[in-house]
Amino acid sequence: MAATMLLKKRAPVLVAEQSTENAAENIPDAAPQETEYVAPKKKQSKKKLAWRVVLYFWMSVLAILFLFPVWWMVVNSMKSNTELVEQLSSMRTFLPGGITEWFTSYVNLFTSEALSGAIGRSIFNSILYCAITVAGVLLVNSLAAYAISRIRFPGAGVITTIVLLLILVPVETSIVPQIVILTRLGLTTPTTRMFGYLIPGLVSPFYIFMFRSYFVGIPKEIEEAAEIDGAGKFRTFFVMVIPLSKAIFATVSIFTFMGAWNDYVFAQYIFSASVDLMPLQVFLQQVNNAQPKDTAMVMAALTISTIPIAIVYVFCQRYIVEGVSFSGLK
Amino acid sequence: MEGIEIETAVVTESASAGEPQSAPPRKSGSRNKHFRLFGKDYRLYDTLVGLGFIAPALILGIIFVIAPIVVSLSYAFTDATMFTLDDVHWNNFYNFGKAFSDPKMWNALGNTCLFVVVAVPLQLGIALGLALLLNKEVKGNTFFRWAYFCPVMLSLAVTSFLWMNLLNEQEGLFNGLLTSMGLPAQKFLNDPDQAMMLIVLVSVWQGAGYQMLIFLSGLKNIEPALYEAASLDGANKWQQFVHITLPAILPTTSFVLVTMLIGAFRLITQPMIMTPSGLPNVDGKEVTTTMSWYIYQQGLTYYDVGFSSAIALIYTVFLATIALTLRKVMDVKD
Repeated sequence: MAATMLLKKRAPVLVAEQSTENAAENIPDAAPQETEYVAPKKKQSKKKLAWRVVLYFWMSVLAILFLFPVWWMVVNSMKSNTELVEQLSSMRTFLPGGITEWFTSYVNLFTSEALSGAIGRSIFNSILYCAITVAGVLLVNSLAAYAISRIRFPGAGVITTIVLLLILVPVETSIVPQIVILTRLGLTTPTTRMFGYLIPGLVSPFYIFMFRSYFVGIPKEIEEAAEIDGAGKFRTFFVMVIPLSKAIFATVSIFTFMGAWNDYVFAQYIFSASVDLMPLQVFLQQVNNAQPKDTAMVMAALTISTIPIAIVYVFCQRYIVEGVSFSGLK
Repeated sequence: MEGIEIETAVVTESASAGEPQSAPPRKSGSRNKHFRLFGKDYRLYDTLVGLGFIAPALILGIIFVIAPIVVSLSYAFTDATMFTLDDVHWNNFYNFGKAFSDPKMWNALGNTCLFVVVAVPLQLGIALGLALLLNKEVKGNTFFRWAYFCPVMLSLAVTSFLWMNLLNEQEGLFNGLLTSMGLPAQKFLNDPDQAMMLIVLVSVWQGAGYQMLIFLSGLKNIEPALYEAASLDGANKWQQFVHITLPAILPTTSFVLVTMLIGAFRLITQPMIMTPSGLPNVDGKEVTTTMSWYIYQQGLTYYDVGFSSAIALIYTVFLATIALTLRKVMDVKD
């Protein structure tokens, strides 16, 4: 108590000095000090309220700025195009249309003659490409990462260095040399271009690095125990290591899925001549260019192509934040 | 008895030289064969399995990661085109001479730098501002976080097509609203003065939420005790921000800055979709053609692989210089 009395008399600067110098001694004093501050807090409450109102005002303005285009996209996908054009110059453009028209544009999208019903095919293509890419990326990169982090063989060190170099050095390779190589391998003909599109995406130095950082943290004793029991490396990896690394497998598959679903430039070049093989993101160009111009139908297509990503963000938020902070801590 | 003991000792010794603590397995004696390479001891089984595990990634990596770099480097000094890949001749520095005297390349480089200089600081500032707003414990925090993050869920292609329609001259939302308020309709993306700035705004709108999330996780890691100590010290909010918050998130900021810069220098999707064929232009100079897009056009639209590779090489040197300078500057700061 004596100490508290003394502290009260001192200037606040000195109090702080004291608390940093011998923090341990001052911990019991923390409580009485806080009660002392109750009075000024009440005086400030009006100022705080005003501050809060200002804060909420700006946060709401920003929220509207960030949300209104997306809101407009979804709302106007649920109108007929005539309705959309009519309401364009009034505030009704931000309100949902009549319930009878809600699915008109979506039905149009699947039946329109201008698109010859190819949207269903492009959705199927997108799902197929994503499934193959995710499965392939997980297998190829996790095996490679396991080899360089946990198995002793000649060349492992060199490969690790190359992987790290490829991540650190920004090389503007662009897609031109990739197309050159695919052309030389005969993977850009109408029948083979699907493989030409999928295969280059399977290996990624960055995912190898991510897997490696995770595997390094698994205690070696677990694998050694498995080996003593007679399990080979292959079984150890699939039965012991994968179940222990669910988090990193989830993170990588989510990022791969989003990358594959959203890919545009590469897919747009490879499939520019074969509408049947186009993934959804590339097919959007066809919808956008369809004549006569149907903005509501375009909005319907944009909404459909966003839904899977939105679902992933809503349900897998934890892994995404983990992945983001992982890349942030690198 | 003695002989057996010596044998086990030898086995343990060689095993510990190869892989420490690898215990002798009961049935799989074949796994304990060893060999030496460059004075180092390896277990044959480990080598085979390790090479097997890495083989798919190694083969794909050599073909689709390393080879493109080699191709890009070597084709820059040749007259290669997409149709004559079997008949390529060296032409030394011809492509580089052509590139440096090509006004379109300088135009593309200028456009890219303009985008980077405006978009990166703007997006960094907005992302940090949003993160600081959300870092306060207020009601509805989750809603606001989702609201700012919402555009990130749109892909670059969806974002571009959406804004292209919003900014459409005849049937776009913005011209609809402008005319209803009695204001003149704008040409937006067809106006050379507006096109690049609109691409900047659209890119910032789409991307800021992602960096906001990174900043938020950085802010959450700051010890609350630091702020308590500072406020006891009599430091006001601004002083707390400058002396605690800013230094604490400096590593996050430098990481975000570097990734944003690299991303911004690779801008291609938005201008490609929103201003097809590089329009609009001033005196024949397209205002939205970026470096990545120019490299793409030269290689894949005009099939001039040699020239395209030469520009790509010049651009890589340019980017590497910036990246290295930035790392140096940041190391000094740290």
